[in-house]
Amino acid sequence: MIKLSDVSYAYPDTDHYTLTNVDLDVPQGEVVGIVGASGAGKTTLAKIISGFIPHVDGGALSGRIEVDGINLPESTLAIAVSHVGLVIQSPFNQISGAKFTVREELAFGLENQGVEREEMATRVGEVAKLLGIETLLDRSPYALSGGQQQLVAIASMIIMRTPVLVMDEPTSQLDPGGTRMVFDVMSKLRDSGITLVVFEHKVELLREHASTVHVIADHQIVASGPARKVLSDPRLEKWAIGTTRYTRAAALAEEKSLLPKSTELPVSLEDSIDVFKGFKNLKKG
Amino acid sequence: MPTSLFDNRKSVIHRLNPVTKLVALLAIIVIVFAIPVWWVSAIVLVVVIVPAAVISGSGGRLLSLSLKILIPILLVLFIVQGLTFPGGETILWRWGVLKLTTEGLLFALGVGSRIIVLILASILLVLTTHPGQLMSALSEHGMSPKFAYIISSTLQLIPAFSDRANSILLAQQARGLSLKGSPFRRIKVMLPLLSPLVLGMFTDVEERSTAMEARAFGSPAKRTSLIPVPDTTLQRVLRWVFVALALGAIATPILMGIL
Repeated sequence: MIKLSDVSYAYPDTDHYTLTNVDLDVPQGEVVGIVGASGAGKTTLAKIISGFIPHVDGGALSGRIEVDGINLPESTLAIAVSHVGLVIQSPFNQISGAKFTVREELAFGLENQGVEREEMATRVGEVAKLLGIETLLDRSPYALSGGQQQLVAIASMIIMRTPVLVMDEPTSQLDPGGTRMVFDVMSKLRDSGITLVVFEHKVELLREHASTVHVIADHQIVASGPARKVLSDPRLEKWAIGTTRYTRAAALAEEKSLLPKSTELPVSLEDSIDVFKGFKNLKKG
Repeated sequence: MPTSLFDNRKSVIHRLNPVTKLVALLAIIVIVFAIPVWWVSAIVLVVVIVPAAVISGSGGRLLSLSLKILIPILLVLFIVQGLTFPGGETILWRWGVLKLTTEGLLFALGVGSRIIVLILASILLVLTTHPGQLMSALSEHGMSPKFAYIISSTLQLIPAFSDRANSILLAQQARGLSLKGSPFRRIKVMLPLLSPLVLGMFTDVEERSTAMEARAFGSPAKRTSLIPVPDTTLQRVLRWVFVALALGAIATPILMGIL
């Protein structure tokens, strides 16, 4: 669904490359996580996958970028946004400000595409049901919590039926409750067959929801693989991303020979329970 | 956080098509500036603006917002023009080289009455018109959605701008910034706050623009609307009446000059 080959990019008026030789292959319907420290190039990669680079930001872009069968740099932004949706960090800045209720806010993108009124009303109902936000439809977008606003922003993208959705740190400005809401919605989206690319710092939650994870550091992808394997990699500390307390505890246990060296390190609480079972067995033995 | 000054009510004024209100506002501005005598502004104020404000139920907010803007402007206008109007001969009061003249005060009254009408009518439009409805109505009347969005988003950015300014001020006060002292000193202290304010707004605008583009705002398709903006034959007629009145006001001084 998404294929990047040897992609490098430098912003306008600079010879410094923000991303170099990036390769990425995301199959259809997969939830892929991308982690990286601040300034590593996550937002840049999100903009490349969603077509905003080079169509809005310009700059020097090389390599091949194909999303849903479209060669993005050679198409237009209007075509790109009909294939890839983008959710950004700030829930507040994603609200159009031109709509009175959540119902109208959800339809904003469809209005821009010239979709007929009856079709819009149907899609609003469907998306609200999918994301569980039916009770918010008649409220003002500005009267919602940050988490609810972000759900509305996601719904505003889903309603446009793009096969790919890119989420650039969608929970970075949310409290724990709002963060949980957004991640719960990711599960629903995965089940509906949308290809999701999630740029996130919250390693533990990413472990629960992403099947594959890529790490960006030093302007390139430095590690890729199954979520648990990548997110428990000790090198995450060096790349200023950090591992979870479960990973660090298990690594310490391994170091003190309390766990066998072959143990796959845990990332989440659920992983830890498995490891703990092994730890108990080891003690019995 | 609400981002617009829109005062959500169900009055007749609120329910009017936004284009009708916009045409009325423009006609009012043209009339009071084309016929620059204070009593024309007073008639517009008494016959149109005050009744509209009362019917809308937003009169209280209109008054409180307008006074904040008008008081300093009118004070400066009357003091400067009253005391320094060139050619003022009817002296009411004198202090050294300064002389308060009837001509100066009348000039200030003429300009001030037009400013009052302009500010009150504009704020009443903002208070009674949701930016979204304004955008939809302008688009339905053939205006480019981008241009319509610029108008509607400008209206909604005012409170957001004010909130950001307050946050920056609070952060600086927490770090020891003092706003005590003369007005000149306060202005001097406030100037460095402009930089984070403007830069922050630029970041917001860039993010907002990305979010809008992601929702096909640049699409070449003909825009549709989920909820139609109500319009009636009476309002269509009314709009032409306002246009005719504005044209009449422009023609009046020309015709009077000819005759």
